[in-house]
Amino acid sequence: MSKQNNRSSYLGADTIALHAGYQPEPEHGSRAVPIYQTTSYVFESVDAASALFNVEQGGHIYSRITNPTVAVLEQRVAALEGGTGAVCTASGMSALFVTFVSLCSAGDHIVSAGQIYGSTVTLLKHTLKRFNIDVSFVDINDSQAVAGAIQSNTKLVFCESIGNPGLEVSDLPAISDAAHQHGIPLVVDATFATPSLCRPLEHGADVVVHSLTKWIGGHGTAIGGAIVDGGKFDWAASGRFPTLTEPYEPFHGINFWEEFGPAALTMRIRAEAMRDFGAAMSPHNAFLLLQGIETLNLRMKQHVENARQLTEWLQQQENVAWVNHPDLESNPTHDVASKLFPNGAGSMLCFGVKGGRACGAAFIDALQLSSNLANVGDARTLVLHPASTTHSRLDDEAMIKAGIGPDMIRVSVGIESIRDICADFTQGLKAASKALQKQQEA
Amino acid sequence: MRITVNQQNVFVATGGKEFNPELPCVVFLHGSGLDHRCWALQARWFAFHGYSVFAPDFPGHSLSAGEPLTSIEAMADWLIDALETAGVEQLHLVGHSQGFLVALEAASRLKSRLLSLTAIGTAAAIPVNPALIETAREAPMKAADMMLQWGFGQATQMGYSAVPGVQPIAVGRQIMAANPLAEDLQACNDYTQGTVRAADIMCPTQVILAGQDRMTPYKTGLELAKLLNTEAIRIESGHMLPIEAPKACLNAMKQFFTRL
Repeated sequence: MSKQNNRSSYLGADTIALHAGYQPEPEHGSRAVPIYQTTSYVFESVDAASALFNVEQGGHIYSRITNPTVAVLEQRVAALEGGTGAVCTASGMSALFVTFVSLCSAGDHIVSAGQIYGSTVTLLKHTLKRFNIDVSFVDINDSQAVAGAIQSNTKLVFCESIGNPGLEVSDLPAISDAAHQHGIPLVVDATFATPSLCRPLEHGADVVVHSLTKWIGGHGTAIGGAIVDGGKFDWAASGRFPTLTEPYEPFHGINFWEEFGPAALTMRIRAEAMRDFGAAMSPHNAFLLLQGIETLNLRMKQHVENARQLTEWLQQQENVAWVNHPDLESNPTHDVASKLFPNGAGSMLCFGVKGGRACGAAFIDALQLSSNLANVGDARTLVLHPASTTHSRLDDEAMIKAGIGPDMIRVSVGIESIRDICADFTQGLKAASKALQKQQEA
Repeated sequence: MRITVNQQNVFVATGGKEFNPELPCVVFLHGSGLDHRCWALQARWFAFHGYSVFAPDFPGHSLSAGEPLTSIEAMADWLIDALETAGVEQLHLVGHSQGFLVALEAASRLKSRLLSLTAIGTAAAIPVNPALIETAREAPMKAADMMLQWGFGQATQMGYSAVPGVQPIAVGRQIMAANPLAEDLQACNDYTQGTVRAADIMCPTQVILAGQDRMTPYKTGLELAKLLNTEAIRIESGHMLPIEAPKACLNAMKQFFTRL
């Protein structure tokens, strides 16, 4: 398996998480990253203002486009992933939208994994379709299917490094090979993995997207997204990306590829998408997400360890029908997971309670420590019934493609003491057992 | 723009404006293993403020075809040919690191056509450790990593960037990954005429140095300033001045050009 050496820093990951992008500012010496809660920035002169607007120099104009606090987060995420740049957005979904529309125009086509987050399916299948951007969903680990779905107007292959909620790990080296053979970049949503567990750029991905709301933020306090530019993809050689390789009239005909090369996508997103779509991250959210990112590596170790122990524990419970985690040999992508995720394939697991949907509902309603809500990646343990919530907009066929059964319970394993999580689940399973008894009696 | 120099297709960045040989021309020359993008935040300002900009990728670098040139003298000859092709008569030369050695050598050929000479993060001689050249031959990426670690200053090593959201080390790394490094380093090491050429310079000069420079140390830059009989401007940055401290670098250049 090829491993590509991507790096933005020569510091260790733990140091990057704490320091990248910020050094104490000279005037007050603030050790923590300050919150620049401002809409705009005073120009030194008319000439300086003009230079900023014309991309003649770096700096801040308006917080919809850049903000110093957000920029620290961008520097840090880019450094953790080994990218040439990053742009933070208001949410993970806006990061995806911005990525798709920065690479695609009307009449273009995307090849996507079938097993992905429900809202992403909706974005690809319904919303982008209204803008005449088409999608083909494929079994992403079937290289022939990926290659076969690529058309002359295909602009990107998309997958999640760990699929939500089916937890199938994408074979990034094989998928990127298939995409690159056709001159197409691979875009990976790495939300479930975080750069602490897997850095997709090292495995052939060209662009990485995150919902920072999840493990990177880690505390359920702020919504945010990020797009990381890998900087390796040759947009000109591909010949498919006029948005990057042809003059862009609103900036005096700037050619992003010629002007910025490995940071072309970052600069295009900044210049167009952030200006025109306005999906900006608030500085306060950036600050909250920075608090999370500083302990990302520590938390991920505990998340992964708790997920491992809970998986083992669930497998031993009588009224658990099945358990799924990429580190289990029964997971169809276990081999890929063990290669791409040597330190554990995340802290999401799924399981089915015997008795189906009603018993699953009884399980969730009986929990006291774990929270039933539509989020993942919080430091606290979270549970959800995807078929009635996140993926409820999918039709039956799409639901099956996404690997969702009616009995599936999705668990985002937190970093509480594992014995307390197991005790909570014991209560849930007792309630599920009672519901099953009632079903059988009826 | 694309021009043909010695039967090779060459890319020349023009700062985002169409090249006009009638305007005063500023020529930007990149350092070892790099390309025109290191001037992104200087060239564009000049292009939009009454100058024509000519920032080539040397042969075999990034967007230019051809085999890499193996001596500073050959690069200077090539530059003269490229300027002829583009119809440039009089010009200002700006060079970073190796690019300045080429500028020095070209100056001896340009004579009165040269209006000014700007040295950025450089010296009259750039001896290169043979072990680094050998590493660049055997394992180019390893050599690039060594240079990026020495080349960027403390703030950039800590992930700071003058351009929000961009990681200069990663950008430099991607550019250097595809470019001929060993040839460039060997050419720097072999060039011995810098002191002689510097003493012959007659046009106005400026020297902009990086206080944290570990590739061409600050004190060797001061010696160059002495040779050129000019003051040195010190900016607290690493060797990759145009990328690391683009605004300070541009401001120094603007002040110099205003005085000309």
